[in-house]
Amino acid sequence: MDNILEVKNLSKKYLEFELKNVNFNLPKGMIMGFIGENGAGKTTTIKAILDIIKDYSGEIKILNFDNKKETTKIQENVGVVLDDMFFPEILTPNDINTIMKDTYKNWDSNLYFKYIKDFSLPLKKQIKTLSKGMRKKLEIVTALSHHPKLLILDEPTSGLDPIARNEVISIFQDFIQNGECSIFFSSHITTDLEHIADYITFINNGEIVLSKTCDELLNEYGIVKCTEKEFDTLDKKDYVKYIKTKCEYDVLIENKKAFNTKYKIKTIDNITLEDLMLIMVKGVK
Amino acid sequence: MEIIISNSSGVPIYEQIKEQIKVKIVSNELKAGELLPSIRSLAKDLRCSVITTKNAYEELVKDGYVINVPQKGFYVAEINKDVVREELLNKIETLLDEAVNIAKLNNIDKKTILEMMEILYEEEK
Amino acid sequence: MLGFIKKDIIMLKSNFKTLAILIVVYIIMAFKGIMDISFILPFISVMIMISTFSYDEFNKWNSYACTLPNGRKNVVKSKYISTLLMIIITTFIVGLASFIITYTQTQKVNYEEILSIILGTSFATILLESFMYPTIYKFGVEKARIGIFVSVFGIAIIGGLLSNIFNFGKVLELLKLLENYIIIIIPIIMVVMLYISYKISERINLNKEF
Repeated sequence: MDNILEVKNLSKKYLEFELKNVNFNLPKGMIMGFIGENGAGKTTTIKAILDIIKDYSGEIKILNFDNKKETTKIQENVGVVLDDMFFPEILTPNDINTIMKDTYKNWDSNLYFKYIKDFSLPLKKQIKTLSKGMRKKLEIVTALSHHPKLLILDEPTSGLDPIARNEVISIFQDFIQNGECSIFFSSHITTDLEHIADYITFINNGEIVLSKTCDELLNEYGIVKCTEKEFDTLDKKDYVKYIKTKCEYDVLIENKKAFNTKYKIKTIDNITLEDLMLIMVKGVK
Repeated sequence: MEIIISNSSGVPIYEQIKEQIKVKIVSNELKAGELLPSIRSLAKDLRCSVITTKNAYEELVKDGYVINVPQKGFYVAEINKDVVREELLNKIETLLDEAVNIAKLNNIDKKTILEMMEILYEEEK
Repeated sequence: MLGFIKKDIIMLKSNFKTLAILIVVYIIMAFKGIMDISFILPFISVMIMISTFSYDEFNKWNSYACTLPNGRKNVVKSKYISTLLMIIITTFIVGLASFIITYTQTQKVNYEEILSIILGTSFATILLESFMYPTIYKFGVEKARIGIFVSVFGIAIIGGLLSNIFNFGKVLELLKLLENYIIIIIPIIMVVMLYISYKISERINLNKEF
């Protein structure tokens, strides 16, 4: 399967933070959720992919174009929603159409106005008068209206109420219907991701902890709840990390089935992405 | 197509989809030769990921319930009733095996178990 | 690129009202002979242009533009083009106004005076903007504002000190010599200044870390 986005050995150093050798691929037609706590490096990674930060090393390819050399070709085919970056807020959604139709070759005014109508966004009100949720929707609509092949979204559902989030997610699923388009989005609202993401890439402290299909994660990983005595019987290589609470040990394991055949401990819970994040970030080995 | 997915049942979603489609095929609700919804549209309808529906369909293909026609989609296969029966019997055997094991471990005799079976069968009617 | 120019024009439009009121005030004051405030107009036009930078900065438009086709380059180019448009408009207004004023007051048209006003105001505008824009692209609007005030005062003080030390008679003689060509020299200086400033701004923005 061709990859629509390839990130190879991406590294970037700041004074107090570092992206270390980030690697992952997003196949065509798929949705990838990019998770991690605040400050883990999600936005920096996205900015590097878009080439809006400089002095990073590694190779990034979008639609097989090198992101540093064939930037314009990439920009024509990518729709972007970035946290807190947008048009000056004295402009109106109508102005955005005027500007964008002379910016993108493929800008589709009809599609844009259709989305505006579907989302019941006002056409002639300044952006600054819109609520946070409406503004986010406008940003998403703007990113979608030039028929991009890849959507790159930094926290697209944050600030949205459950109903708006639902609408946005359905738009995302429509977007990948033809099997040609992909979505890469970061989020810390993990329940959205569990539902629609095909792949999960998890970044912690500037490093990719895992990049897997969501099904694999949710079906194979598990949390073993056990007593200290039981925990002592576990082989170190059979678990990923654990958290000790006052009453029990929560142990993250990679393969429920294998664990089941080897040990007698019966309480193995299915995981949610939230549990996974928590144990990966706070847990110890 | 009606498929009910529970996020809290603990059963993997692809398995829930697979089992429910299987039931529909065996019960003839989905007839042989019928075109199933595409992987992507089913994912959208069920609010799940594309890979999940793809896994479900692939398993159905593996088990012979569905045929994948490249470029066209997934069709309900002509199912062999004997194969289905065989599979069901296998399933029943595993379940009974467990029951018998528990019985043996706890010294419950065969007669009691058979009586229990009788009662269960009667109840069903 | 056209899209980005349109964006600036839309943003300027919202300021046109202020500009129109000021022009009316200016004309009235000039008519009454209270004072010639033609020097204020270029200043206002600079302020209006700077305000578009402020709006851009507030919503991180420059970073967002980096994700649009050719955005990193075009965001600078379009700003200089819309600046040029703005200069042309204000210069035209200043020229027209001084034409009307001199004509109604003296029944004669003093072309030389009008020309000197036009050249003077546009030169001042371009000088200011050529310095400000690269500073804004490098340090942001707030810091650039302070920087400009400091440097304007600095230049004035240094200039004052220098004129006390040196005899500028010779320089003035030289200027006199050039008087006949000044109508060509000043526009050339303006164009060169703006172009250099543009190139510097572009370089800064192309290498900027957002």
